[in-house]
Amino acid sequence: MKEELFEKLAQAVIDGEPEDAVAIAKEALAQGLDPLECITNGLTKGIQKVGELFASGEYFLPELIIGADAMKEGLGVLEPALVGDQKREVVAHVVLGTVEGDLHEIGKTLVGTMLTANGFQVKDIGVDQPASAFIDAVKETGATIIGASALLTTTMLQQEKLIQNLEEAGLRKKVKVMVGGAPVTETYAKKIGADGYAEDAISAVDLAFRLADAPE
Amino acid sequence: MSSEFNIIEPIKTPYKLNFLDDKQLTNLQEATLNILEKTGVQFPSEKALAIFADHGADVDRDSQVVKISRDLVFKAMTTVPRYFTLGARNPEFDLELQDGVSFFTNDGCGHEVIDFKTGQRRASKLSDVGMMARINDFLSSMSFSWTMVSAQDCGVTSPIHEMDVTWRNNTKHYQSVTMMGEELCRYGVEMATVLRGSLDEVRKRPPISLIVCTIAPLVQDKEAIEGALVLGEAGIPIVIMSMPTMGTTAPATYAGALAMGDAEIISATVLMQLANPGAPVFHSMLHAWADPRTAAYVGYPLDARVRYAPVEMAHHWGMPALGGAFGTESPELQSWQSAAEVATDPLLVSLSGAEIVTGLGLRNTYTLLYPEAIILDTDIYHRARHSLLALDVSPETLAVDIVANIKPGGHFLSQKHTRKHMRTAMKRSILQQLDSVGQYRQPVEYAREKVAWILENHHPEPPSTDVQKEINQILAAADKELKG
Repeated sequence: MKEELFEKLAQAVIDGEPEDAVAIAKEALAQGLDPLECITNGLTKGIQKVGELFASGEYFLPELIIGADAMKEGLGVLEPALVGDQKREVVAHVVLGTVEGDLHEIGKTLVGTMLTANGFQVKDIGVDQPASAFIDAVKETGATIIGASALLTTTMLQQEKLIQNLEEAGLRKKVKVMVGGAPVTETYAKKIGADGYAEDAISAVDLAFRLADAPE
Repeated sequence: MSSEFNIIEPIKTPYKLNFLDDKQLTNLQEATLNILEKTGVQFPSEKALAIFADHGADVDRDSQVVKISRDLVFKAMTTVPRYFTLGARNPEFDLELQDGVSFFTNDGCGHEVIDFKTGQRRASKLSDVGMMARINDFLSSMSFSWTMVSAQDCGVTSPIHEMDVTWRNNTKHYQSVTMMGEELCRYGVEMATVLRGSLDEVRKRPPISLIVCTIAPLVQDKEAIEGALVLGEAGIPIVIMSMPTMGTTAPATYAGALAMGDAEIISATVLMQLANPGAPVFHSMLHAWADPRTAAYVGYPLDARVRYAPVEMAHHWGMPALGGAFGTESPELQSWQSAAEVATDPLLVSLSGAEIVTGLGLRNTYTLLYPEAIILDTDIYHRARHSLLALDVSPETLAVDIVANIKPGGHFLSQKHTRKHMRTAMKRSILQQLDSVGQYRQPVEYAREKVAWILENHHPEPPSTDVQKEINQILAAADKELKG
């Protein structure tokens, strides 16, 4: 019964059915299953499979995003039920956002989805976010990685400002900063002192793994 | 890559583009009638001259020039069928000619090949014909098959060997570009009869047809026209193709070249109808330009505005048309020239309403084969095909409710509607093929890989053993008789 529910949870994520993920998560809790086991053996297995199907070319972006949505909805039920010092195992905590003055959402959202699917705990603070909002989120979550997106040549300057503000707040050494967005380049990332640049969501995941392993 | 097999994707469109207005069409036709009546066309064939004489045409036996009155032209043209069937070995690939559909084929007939394995330039041979027939059979862009290169290793009977090797590698309709002469065409009819089981079946679903070229200005080829009469008698469709070159073999003005080329086609069509009323005939004119300094053949000058006007002239006569597309002058597999010259061809020829169209895949003005070129040209073909498809506007595709779900500022990736449609919304061109790290690949590298894949994996069903045995006997008899 337990294994069957884990499989159903995984399948809800693979099939991209957020409503099913919520219903099955609730059923699992009602039957007294351990929420951490439900996450690890159900949702996480599902999102890993989604990632594999995406990597192999069978799944496209919508399947990936809807799968991640299903996982998120399932976690919304299961995480509040964790007891004591139970914690979901994550690669690293990431704060993700689009910089101040910039309303472009989709690139950053894709990166967030890909990171989540790969075991990162992502706090997406949204678009048009000042440096202070990134810093507040880092303090709140203990994140070790920031992903800052900018889609305009006029707003990419805010990525540099964010790095400066992190210095001023004394957080720069504790947090790695990755930058991206259409006008951003590897050269620009180096120039402003970022820790890495990724061209797309897939390479952003590779970069995040490298940064998670990098020494402070 | 296997998904294309067993489907053909002709260009179907609700759109039309008129290059000529009614007055221009009438004036062009009047000029054709004038040429036929006053100047005449040379038919160096006693058979053809006899047929014309029997039907009251003005025949000069010495010059072999036939002058045809407008009354005789119009009388003969009343029996030309507007639409008919091009049968295929596989009935699923039978082509029913119809308004709004253009069936494309490969180019022909080249005589040189860049060898796929060695990269060396050499003369074409029978195995090249078979190889390209197999590639044609796989590709959905190919509705029927043309003789892409000549089998120069087969001597005078090469046209029927080309037909045989095509059938062994291809299940679509075959249009020979090389078969000429009464004797060879009789062997061709015999082979088609064996393939179909009876001459009646050949008439119903002719598995072959034939390109017959005129010689500008105003001359018919004896071998071509006598071969055409043999096929016409068997109900096998003929394409009469004129190729006037402006400034050398035709007037240096568009209208003059068109009228003269048309006169060549119509004179042969009249002959076909007088000999066998109702014989299926296509009208085709691929005019070109002569370079004013060198007289070199130029197929793609900057101003090629009447490139597809002949299709409208064909329809004005009540005939189906074969339009010419592709066939760049570039000797390169891929260059700015090889793509730019032909880029609008499939779009314009389909908008003109050509029922059948040649042809993808050759370079150096229809003479040089790179096996990969047909894959590159197919990309241009599918761009045109998609551009001309009717737009689906319905509640499902308008997706107003989905837009309402998202509201300003969100995104659509998490919508099930997106999941349902995104997979097929963007048609991936040869330019958007991804490599293992998500970067776009070099198109020519992909084309080469695809050719190799098709040759390795695609093996169409050949004719049955019994049929093949009979065909082999016919080929042997032809070789014995005609090769001497």
